[in-house]
Amino acid sequence: MSIPFDLTLILDSLPLLAVGALVTIEITAMSVAIGVLIGLFVGIAELSRYWYFRIPAKIYVDFVRGTPLLVQIFIIYFALPIILGVRVEPFAAAVAACSINSGAYVAEIFRAGIQSIDKGQMEAGRSLGMTWTQTMRHIIIPQAFRRTIPQLGNEFIAMLKDSSLVSVIGFEELTRKGQLIIASTYGSLEIWTAVAIIYLIMTLSITRFVAYLEKRFK
Amino acid sequence: MIKIKDLHKSYGDHQILKGIDLEVKKSEVVVIIGPSGSGKSTLLRCVNYLEVPTSGSITIDGQEITPSVDINTIRAEVGMVFQHFNLFGHMSVMQNITLAPIKVRGMSRYEAEQKAIELLGRVGLADKAHAFPSQLSGGQQQRVAIARALAMHPKIMLFDEPTSALDPEMVNEVLEVMKVLAESGMTMMVVTHEMGFARQVADRVLFVDGGKIIEQGKPDDVFLNPQQDRTKEFLAKIL
Repeated sequence: MSIPFDLTLILDSLPLLAVGALVTIEITAMSVAIGVLIGLFVGIAELSRYWYFRIPAKIYVDFVRGTPLLVQIFIIYFALPIILGVRVEPFAAAVAACSINSGAYVAEIFRAGIQSIDKGQMEAGRSLGMTWTQTMRHIIIPQAFRRTIPQLGNEFIAMLKDSSLVSVIGFEELTRKGQLIIASTYGSLEIWTAVAIIYLIMTLSITRFVAYLEKRFK
Repeated sequence: MIKIKDLHKSYGDHQILKGIDLEVKKSEVVVIIGPSGSGKSTLLRCVNYLEVPTSGSITIDGQEITPSVDINTIRAEVGMVFQHFNLFGHMSVMQNITLAPIKVRGMSRYEAEQKAIELLGRVGLADKAHAFPSQLSGGQQQRVAIARALAMHPKIMLFDEPTSALDPEMVNEVLEVMKVLAESGMTMMVVTHEMGFARQVADRVLFVDGGKIIEQGKPDDVFLNPQQDRTKEFLAKIL
């Protein structure tokens, strides 16, 4: 018995899948961008001398890293509207869940990156009369950022793959598009193969891009 | 210029400084020697509050350092050179030198760069303005670090074992820069193991051990005719 594999089905579905892939890139890029912003502040807060910065930052990071992203998506999409009394759009819910999730992981990346910078850098900055904030901004963070590019790249890849989870709230990214095409064509084998390959192309491209960035900043 | 009164510093139960009294006059060069763990680096780092004293008082140029004074304005007047240079690795030599004058003193970039070029000339590195620290030898890096500190026009310079991390053949180029600086009238506190430098340049040598100043005096007196047994013991080991 030969396995039926309909290549034309993939070709016919490509335009729709391409739209899904773009949406996946869009939501990933937005989430990681917001996540980097959150992560920068939370990562610094984790290293703060003041408990009222440190403790909430730690709770946020522990909560997000200790619970599944899928559950976080459900909380934002289904549970939050009950408290707020308003419906949350799938797009807003997807970006919010992924950003909040990404922020916690990025915070840990930045925290470790900042801690990896030699203490002497802060001392040199302070000894020149610069404030803690100036030294952080001009000396510590730029160096920590360069050092964390590989991990930030990994986080981007992880988020790109994990963003498939927002398909459960009906947000039409790549995975959801695949499901919808299968619902009308029954081409599970062809479409899931195509979806997997598209994800693979995206993640490999990012890996290459990050390797290039890493080399440039050396 | 610097007045230190009954300075104590402890980490938990561990006492590093046990009552230091010291006055450094304008243009004076004070060299601090002593065994490792004696507290000599801690003493230096207390002067610009990189270490916060447990008790005692420090007065810089007439201003006592208290929690209410803006420590950054005092630090801007006190340059520091570190054992491991601590240059900013992501910045060129020029950026290393101009960053603080621009950010802290509010100098224009042009002005700061003119000043940096002049300072680089003084430390013999006029051609290295656009190099990055990783491209320089240890001796060159330390000279850049000295130029960086001088760019703030400090009234006092602190040197924390500036040649200890250098290969032997690079020690002299750094000491030479420090010597010229001392001759130009800079007030300096130097922690070092370079006894030759101390004898040549220092106005006064302090021997610190166990968190206290054990002995002090003119270099030749301390080195050739030490009064205290602990000083004799230490000098016997290193000379």
